[in-house]
Amino acid sequence: MEQVWYTAAAWMGLALLASLISIRIGISVALVEIFLGLVAGNLGTYFGSALFQPNAWINFLAGFASVVLTFLAGAEIEPEAFRRQLKPTLAIGILSFLLPFLGAWAYAHWVSGWTWQASQIAGIALSTTSMAVVYAVMVETGLNETELGKLILAACFITDLGTVLALGLIFANYDYWLLIFTLVTGVVLWRVPAATRWMLARWGGRVSEPEIKFIFLILCALGGLAVTARSEAVLPAYLFGMVVAGLFVHNKVLIFRMRSITFALLTPFFFIKAGTLISLPALLASLGLLVALFGVKMITKLIGVWPMCRIFKMPLRESNYTTLMMATGLTFGSISALFGYNYGYINQDQYSILVTVVIASAVIPTIIAQVFFQPREAGSVGEAELGN
Amino acid sequence: MFRKILLAYDGSEGANRALEVGIGLAKIHGAELWALAVQENLPRFSGTIDEVQEEKQFANEQYGKLLEAAKVKAKEAGIELKTLMQPGHPAQTIITAAKEGKFDLVLVGHTGLSGVWAAFLGTTAEKVSRHAPCSVLIVR
Repeated sequence: MEQVWYTAAAWMGLALLASLISIRIGISVALVEIFLGLVAGNLGTYFGSALFQPNAWINFLAGFASVVLTFLAGAEIEPEAFRRQLKPTLAIGILSFLLPFLGAWAYAHWVSGWTWQASQIAGIALSTTSMAVVYAVMVETGLNETELGKLILAACFITDLGTVLALGLIFANYDYWLLIFTLVTGVVLWRVPAATRWMLARWGGRVSEPEIKFIFLILCALGGLAVTARSEAVLPAYLFGMVVAGLFVHNKVLIFRMRSITFALLTPFFFIKAGTLISLPALLASLGLLVALFGVKMITKLIGVWPMCRIFKMPLRESNYTTLMMATGLTFGSISALFGYNYGYINQDQYSILVTVVIASAVIPTIIAQVFFQPREAGSVGEAELGN
Repeated sequence: MFRKILLAYDGSEGANRALEVGIGLAKIHGAELWALAVQENLPRFSGTIDEVQEEKQFANEQYGKLLEAAKVKAKEAGIELKTLMQPGHPAQTIITAAKEGKFDLVLVGHTGLSGVWAAFLGTTAEKVSRHAPCSVLIVR
C-alpha cells in the first residue's frame, strides 16, 4: 500500500525546491515545477520508483488546481479596457484562437496522422495565449498601463475564452445532461455575483473563510455537473471568474488568501504532475514533430493576428510585438493537454510533445519580442518621473 | 561640473559606498541626486498573473524600504535624494534611465556577480560603463 505521507513529502519537497529556484533565478515557479516534475518523473521511471507517479489524490489536487487557476484567470478581466477597444480586441482575440486551433488540428490529423480527437486536443492546446506570460513582460516594461498593453491583455482574454469554450464543448455529450449543465450554469452565473457580494459583506474576513468555501463550493458543484455532461470543469470556472471579476478588484484580502491556498497546496501538484508525465524518450523520438507543431502555432498566430493589427492601424513594430505576445502559451495549453491525457484522447507521447511545444511557446516568442520588437513607448522610466 | 547624478542603488555594501560618494559629489557640485532601484528577478514566463502581481508587490515593498533608508541618510547629510523604482534588467534599465533623465554622471558600486560568472558575463558596473551615455563612476 502506498505510504501517503512519504509521497506527499516528496512532492512538497519538490515544490519547495521549485519556489527557491524560482526566486533565485527569476523564472516563474510554474515553469520550474514542470521542469523538476519532468526530471523526477523520468528518473522515477528509469529507476522503477512510483514516488512521482500521479495517483488518485494527486490527480484530484491537480484537477482542482486547474479549476482554481482558470477561475483566477477569468477574474482578471478589466471590463473597461475591453469595452474601450471592443472591435480590435474581439477581432485579434478570436483569430488568435481560431487559426491556430484549426491549423494545429489539421496538421496533427492530416500530416501527423493523429486521431480526430487527439488532433482536436492539439488544436486546443496550441490555440492558447498566455495572459500571464504577456502580463509579466508588460509589467517589466510598464506596457501594461498603456492602451496597447490593455488591448493585448483583453485580446488574450478572448483567446483564452475560445480555448475554454472549445475544451468544454467539443468533447461534451450533446444530451439532456448538457442541457441541464447549460441551464444550471446560466442561472448560477446570473445570480452568483449578487450572492458572492452578500457572502463577502455578511460573512467575509472570518478565520473560518466562509467566502472562500463558498467560491470552492460553486467551482466544485459546477465542475461536477460539467464532467457529468462530459464537458470540462474549467469552462464554468472561467465564466464564474468573469462574472465576479469586479468584486475581486475591491477585495485584496480575499485575493491574497485565495492565492496562498492556490500556490501553497494546489498549483504545485498541477504543474509538477504536468512535468512528470512528459516522457523524455518520447520527446527525443519526435523532435521533428515537435518543431513542426511549434512552427504551426507560430505561423497560424502570425496569419491570424498580424493582419488584424495592421487593419486596426497599429504601427509595424507594435504589430510584430502584439503578434509574438499572442503566440505565447503556458497554463491553458498545459491544462488542455492534461485534459486530453486524463480522458484518453491523447497518449503520453502526444502529451509530451504538446506540453513541450506549449512551454517553448512561452519562452521563444517572448524573448524575440523583447529583444527585437519592444514598442517604443515601453522600456521607459518615465520622463515626468525623471523631472524633464 | 555635474548637474544631475544617478545612483544605481540596491542596498548592497557597494551601493551604500556609492551613496556616500554621491552625497559628497552632490554637495560639491550643487547637483541633483537621484537613486534608481532596479527590481530584477521578477518571474519571467509566468503561469499566473497572480504570481507576477504578488512578486511585484513584494519587490515594491523591499526596494521601497531600501530607498527610504537611503533618503533618510542623504537628508541627514543635507541632500535631497529623489528616488525611482523600475523592474527590468539592471544594466539596461540604468542606461535607459541615464539617457531619458539626461544625467551627466552615473554612480555604481563595484559589487555584483561572482568572479566566475563575472568573467563570462561581466558585472552590471562593467556593462553600464560600456554603454552609458554619460560619465560613469564605479565606486570601490
